[in-house]
Amino acid sequence: MGNLTDRQLLKELKLRLEEKKKVEVEFTELSKDFQGVTKKLKESEALKSHFISNITNEIVNPFTSILGLSKAILSVEKNDWKKVVSMVALIHSEAFNLDYQLRNIFVAAKVEAGEIAPNITKVNIRSLVQTVIDSFSIISRKMGVEFDIQFNIDHGFGKNFYFKTDSEKLKLILSNLINNALKYSYKDSKVIVKVWLDDDELCASVQDFGTGISEKNQKIIFERFKRLDSGINSINRGHGLGLSITKSLLDVLGGNIEIDSQKGEGSTFTVSMPEAQNIVDGFSGDGNDIFFDDEDEIF
Amino acid sequence: MEKNYLQHFLYPSSLFVSREPYVIKTILGSCVAVCLWDKKLKFGGVNHYMLPNWNGNDLASPKYGNIAIDKLLERMLGLGSNIKDIQAKIFGGGELLERGTGNSTLIGERNIRVARLMLEERNIQIIASSTGGRRGRKILFFSDTGEVRHKFLEKKVY
Repeated sequence: MGNLTDRQLLKELKLRLEEKKKVEVEFTELSKDFQGVTKKLKESEALKSHFISNITNEIVNPFTSILGLSKAILSVEKNDWKKVVSMVALIHSEAFNLDYQLRNIFVAAKVEAGEIAPNITKVNIRSLVQTVIDSFSIISRKMGVEFDIQFNIDHGFGKNFYFKTDSEKLKLILSNLINNALKYSYKDSKVIVKVWLDDDELCASVQDFGTGISEKNQKIIFERFKRLDSGINSINRGHGLGLSITKSLLDVLGGNIEIDSQKGEGSTFTVSMPEAQNIVDGFSGDGNDIFFDDEDEIF
Repeated sequence: MEKNYLQHFLYPSSLFVSREPYVIKTILGSCVAVCLWDKKLKFGGVNHYMLPNWNGNDLASPKYGNIAIDKLLERMLGLGSNIKDIQAKIFGGGELLERGTGNSTLIGERNIRVARLMLEERNIQIIASSTGGRRGRKILFFSDTGEVRHKFLEKKVY
């Protein structure tokens, strides 16, 4: 040591300088990353408080209606059945909405907690689609919107077609799409629900003839808590989670979603998903096999 | 010995922690799993995230490393852990896709980096790891002993 020639010294200094530069570059990159994350967190915080006021409406309003209506029923003259029936119908539609929105919120909470997992069974797709559409029948009738169901899968057991997937998640995905389609439809129009197979993938599309979504807005509608304030029928309804949840659910099922829409001409949302596999690369469906052996590395 | 354990298969974007003895299984490609284990209370948990940082748009789920690591740690602390007793092991982060397909590559590496940075920041020691490379991995985590059994997959996962 100590006997460095000038040249060696210069070389060493150059090397150190370069290293320092490298570290600096990495540092700026990291700090950029960090700033980005901070900004997003701040935005999300703001959106979240927005969400709380939305959600309050979503839960409190139906409850108020249900309480008020049931109280009114209690004081109705016993022989005035017509009045009771119409009030019960209202109670049902409010309760349905409440139930459906709560389901969404719980799923969102589960996704965010990392507790979501596919629960795969053989699902009768035709009957599932029909069930979901039926559940919206009261609301659609009230709005004068008709459903046009096009089930384009022929094969299968008789008229039924079975597909291995998670029925609850698929139901919620379809419900969210149909609910949106209704929300943005004009009175006395229709909503087309199509189901078909494409290369063994199950596809479903929901088409409405409502307001449509501009190209710019198509990019942001999947962001959580974001809502476009262009709903015709229900100006301030919704919590803005529907599509984010739909996307997360499709993630779990390995599926995809696409939008095709033009402002003023309605929108078509198309989802596709592969059939679930029983075996995940070496794990059986129930995960009960022992596949590790003596060659394992142990950490 | 595996018979005495309850089993849990860990899906991507999820996490699992238990004070009961569990064997937690998962498969990793470019995803990363961080195993945290409390050496004093002898229990632990694992996450399995796909991307390094949350984009601020999707649900804030443990699909993203920065969220998955904090949530896992939160869960451990919620079950009574002291952060000083927690040790970490990191697995996964392989590059399974061919290089040169745009800047979408190096997901694995970025996933690993988030784990190392975040754990270092929180003073959690990484006592073992098997990361990077070009192959997928299967891991088994024994939540009571903190032991991890690890095997490379022969074929590419994705």
